Amino acid sequence: MAQVILVVDDEPDMCWIMSNIIQPQGFNVVVATTGEDACFKFAHGEFSMMFLDAKLPDMEGLEIAKYARHLTGRSPCIVMVSGYHYLDDPVVQKAMIEGLIRDFLPKPFSNEDLIKILRFYTQ
Amino acid sequence: MLGFPLNDFEFQYEKLLNAIPSSVLIIDKKLHVRSVNDNFLLKSQRTQESTVGRSLNEVFPLVILQSTGIEEIIHQVLQNGMAVKGQKMTYRAPGVPIRIYYYSILPFMSEQIMLIMEDVTEQFRLSEEVRRVEGHLASVVESASDIVLSTDSEGRILTWNSAAEKLSGLSAHDVDGRYFFDLCDINQKQSIFQMYQRMKVANASYTTEFHLVTPNNTNNILISWVFSAMKDEYFNTVGIVVVGRDLAERRKLELQLRQSQKLTALGVMAGGIAHEIRNPLAVCSSAAQFLQQTPISEDFQQECARKIQVNIQKASVIIENLLRFSRSSLDTDMVEVDLIAVLKDTMEIVSNQAKVQKIKMHLSLQRTILLVSGVSGLLQQVFMNVLLNAINAMPTGGDIYLVVTVVEDRVIISISDTGIGIPAGELDNIFDPFHTSSPIGQGTGLGLSICYSIIRQHLGSIQAESRFGQGATINIILPVL
Repeated sequence: MAQVILVVDDEPDMCWIMSNIIQPQGFNVVVATTGEDACFKFAHGEFSMMFLDAKLPDMEGLEIAKYARHLTGRSPCIVMVSGYHYLDDPVVQKAMIEGLIRDFLPKPFSNEDLIKILRFYTQ
Repeated sequence: MLGFPLNDFEFQYEKLLNAIPSSVLIIDKKLHVRSVNDNFLLKSQRTQESTVGRSLNEVFPLVILQSTGIEEIIHQVLQNGMAVKGQKMTYRAPGVPIRIYYYSILPFMSEQIMLIMEDVTEQFRLSEEVRRVEGHLASVVESASDIVLSTDSEGRILTWNSAAEKLSGLSAHDVDGRYFFDLCDINQKQSIFQMYQRMKVANASYTTEFHLVTPNNTNNILISWVFSAMKDEYFNTVGIVVVGRDLAERRKLELQLRQSQKLTALGVMAGGIAHEIRNPLAVCSSAAQFLQQTPISEDFQQECARKIQVNIQKASVIIENLLRFSRSSLDTDMVEVDLIAVLKDTMEIVSNQAKVQKIKMHLSLQRTILLVSGVSGLLQQVFMNVLLNAINAMPTGGDIYLVVTVVEDRVIISISDTGIGIPAGELDNIFDPFHTSSPIGQGTGLGLSICYSIIRQHLGSIQAESRFGQGATINIILPVL
């Protein structure tokens, strides 16, 4: 059974891009375009990892990460993918130290970097 | 006093002479002093003995005789019997304070003349003082960098200072006697004329702004004017004092201030802009990377190219809106503007920021087009400020309601938020410059004061309503065309 990756981004084109990078690597992709949708799908599915946007129309990305941790009782494997923050952004650093997210990938990114992160966290 | 015993008549005559508050000397044809009154002796600090019977050049300092030519004048009076009156003499002698006299030389009995010297030192000093004060006042008016002019109550120009000459290019001579209205903006003539009529009776001063027409007509200057009535002791208007200040410099500063405030607004929006531009950039970047892969299906290749094009367009629209906003203030002419289009454009620009803060904007309209007279860039700046304030008041999301209603000849644009609101004590001064509730470095406190000045320039008004904790509403009222 192929591993399943949850991609959360309100921009359909971003979801299309990420699906087209991840799927050829032998994974299945589930897409969520709102915070509520993401929480629902996370609660009802088994995901190897989640790529998470920072800003959703109804929720902050980190709120979803907190919900996921609360639901599972541990730090789930979440990588934030955002154009709003940058890598040494204090908000991002704090979230990584707190274990809310594992890693951060700024938009725009190289497809290769996304694949490296995907491989690293799904081994 | 005469040098021999006096009879009654002569005694009376001497008393009379001494009672005259002027110096009186009787001089004979040999230019010897025959008689002198006490007033002269007192003023020149001389004695009877050193004066009577003495030659004129022993009694008066040589310099006075030379400068007045008095000896020659006496000879003429003796010859032709014609009095010489009203000559000026400055009396300087060692140990005596300077005195100024007006003197007259009158024929007196036979072969004698009477020299009457009236002391005008005090009057002279006073008139000098008056001249000095007048000169001082004139130089105050002349040195002022503001236009200071006076007219009679009908508007004919009486005085015109050098600032007026410099700004108008017209000399005081050019405007002498001309009507002030003739130098004013043609559209303003009627109202200035009416103001003059009112000032004939009222005691008020009037403040207004209009252009001064310059001779070449190419470079008319906007001036802020203050008209004040000059009253006589019976409170009749005898003239009008007009003070005018060149507004070019102030307008330039206002323009700079508005521009810098815009940059502040752009700073506030930077986060939203970054997010919104980097999304399409990320799509383009990744799609371009797909295109480099081999093998690639024809369909996927087409799809990637299409995504790139659409997303470049998205990013470009965001940038274009920003460019339009940052440059628009350079235009300052009032023209016909569709207020609804301006409002929608502004909502588009702030939508990025609203989106990242989870704020929904709701626009409710009665009409789809609404024409006002204005500068679209400035109106956009007002809406932008008010919308950004609303967005800042709702850090954790909320709603903005924009309601546009037309009441008679006015349009009311009401912008409400569901944010923290404005405390009652601050409601009165939110339009004051430098009033801010933001932490230091996050707001200049100039946004709403600039809105206020822009709306005033559009002959409208702007008001705020709020209950602390229950959101705020800004009402902008403008005249419709």
